[in-house]
Amino acid sequence: MDDNTYIPRLAKIIEIKEEVGGTRPIKTFRTQFLNMNDFSFRCGQCAMLSVFGRGESMISISSSPLLKEYLQFSILKMGRVTSSLHEMQVGDVIGIRGPYGNSFPVEYWKGKNIIFIGGGIGLAPIWSVLNTALGKKGDYGDLMLIYGARTSKDLVFKEELEELKKKMPVHLSIDVEEPDWKEYVGFVPQNVTDKKPSSKNAIAVTCGPPIMIKFVIKALEELGFKDDQIYTTVENKMKCGIGKCGRCNIGFHYVCKDGPVYSWAELKKLPQEY
Amino acid sequence: MEKVLLKKAFPQWVKKLESYTIYSPQKDGDLWNYEVIKNSEAIDLDYLNTVLSPKKIIFPQREVLLEFSTSNEEELKVKEVLPEEMPAVIFGVRPCDAKALTLTDKVFGGDFKDPYYWKRRNSTALVGLTCNAPPSSNCFCLSVDGSPYSKEGLDILMTDLGDKYYAESFTKKGDELLNSAKALFKTPTAKDKKDLEKIKAESKKKVKRQIKDTAKIPPKLKDMFDSPFWDEESLSCIRCGICTYLCPTCHCFDMNDEVTSSSPIQGERVRTWDNCQFPDFTMHSSGHNPRPDKASRLRQRILHKFQYFVELYKNYQCTGCGRCISKCPVGIDIIEVLEKARDYGR
Repeated sequence: MDDNTYIPRLAKIIEIKEEVGGTRPIKTFRTQFLNMNDFSFRCGQCAMLSVFGRGESMISISSSPLLKEYLQFSILKMGRVTSSLHEMQVGDVIGIRGPYGNSFPVEYWKGKNIIFIGGGIGLAPIWSVLNTALGKKGDYGDLMLIYGARTSKDLVFKEELEELKKKMPVHLSIDVEEPDWKEYVGFVPQNVTDKKPSSKNAIAVTCGPPIMIKFVIKALEELGFKDDQIYTTVENKMKCGIGKCGRCNIGFHYVCKDGPVYSWAELKKLPQEY
Repeated sequence: MEKVLLKKAFPQWVKKLESYTIYSPQKDGDLWNYEVIKNSEAIDLDYLNTVLSPKKIIFPQREVLLEFSTSNEEELKVKEVLPEEMPAVIFGVRPCDAKALTLTDKVFGGDFKDPYYWKRRNSTALVGLTCNAPPSSNCFCLSVDGSPYSKEGLDILMTDLGDKYYAESFTKKGDELLNSAKALFKTPTAKDKKDLEKIKAESKKKVKRQIKDTAKIPPKLKDMFDSPFWDEESLSCIRCGICTYLCPTCHCFDMNDEVTSSSPIQGERVRTWDNCQFPDFTMHSSGHNPRPDKASRLRQRILHKFQYFVELYKNYQCTGCGRCISKCPVGIDIIEVLEKARDYGR
């Protein structure tokens, strides 16, 4: 069974946090394996979560690999499996297989400044790499987070973001004005242009809705970022997670196996079909 | 190892293989399909090509990957369900279909070996049959690095010499099969060898359809991703998916949970063939679809076979069996599409 990657390991949900309510709810789940202590993964990798009887869904791991106590997933309620996950309670058991995919090349980023740019649920994959960089702060230069959502209610990790402000610059934004909002109002790419992060010795990591990523990349290019200084993640519908079921491909790349992390230099070379 | 076997002794050989599950093409109405054979006399190797390739035996259309259940104590249990160890021999495999399995081998191998596929693959021997004449009017194996007597993927290739078969074994598995009935097999004479070469040479001439300059197509396709060509070529498609469903090299699949009891929960996780010509194949749960129309899906089928697979493995993901051409209800012909693409814009 150990060499059969299709068989999920059982894990217990130990904590559920409601991040966002309303019609596009987001919850964060923390899980612990029932009979395994050797699940190791890298920043940016994903895991296939099972709700038995409902199916599987590929979700990015939002906790840092430095953290061994639990795995964390922040999940937007969207399809069949994520809706079932949202109905689950602490103590319920799910299946986890993986980890799958490539990862952010953090080893090569040592000594560099890193600008994290997220939109909505896109903060989840960033959260893993951000906390890893923060945990090994001596290895990296200056860190900065630019993060936005539609409304203040749609921001995830609100309490954690307040804590984070004590450790590094955090620039939040919402799309339209709200009475008590003191920070930036506008779209994430505009906030990037407004905050003018320097491209010198820097890496930018951006995750979020495709349209946001497109304009963030444009904004970064205007600030002098080169294609190989910009990293993003791609998501596609997946079933197997190991490059065999055939649906998540962009050209000859299988996002589940060869992605989800791409530099803009790499992504640009692939057919624009994602 | 090379041997000859009198045709009338063929059933006796099959009888010797009783420890194996034997498959061979069987006629069902007007159609031929691989079925399990109980009676060695029932093998008829004078057949047209089968509707489905022997891929369906190695990689079945539906298979259970695991079972899940909750016991009374509410403890969730997951049980791996691997195929049973079942040595099998498939007779009458067309060289194109055997070659196709060497291509699915690449997909189900690699970094993550697919245990379900390999359990069947490793325990199955493939006994091929030279296509003295093409088994379909749309055969084009010669255009995609194949031939009517290609040995790729085969353990044994049999060639019909009239009253006898010439049997060439290429593997240990094949040698074992020939050795299981040593008395029946004779050493080929010089005339047998001459007959074999003659039939092979003639078989090539009988393949009527071909793609000219296939090697020029992959680099051309690379520059045609955004071309209106795909809209034009896919206009008649009714997205029935028969082209990929019958294809011996297509490997795409879906995985779903089938529930037999909801409280306590019980069921199976099942893998089934899936199809890149269906809209929901790539549709995200948000509704976003990277391949939202017939044009992008036809493009995916053609590019996967003649560009992406070539980039990954240096092979065309097509062995020229012609099934997708013969069975397409609206007459989309992959040879025509490829030749038009090759000449597009010239």
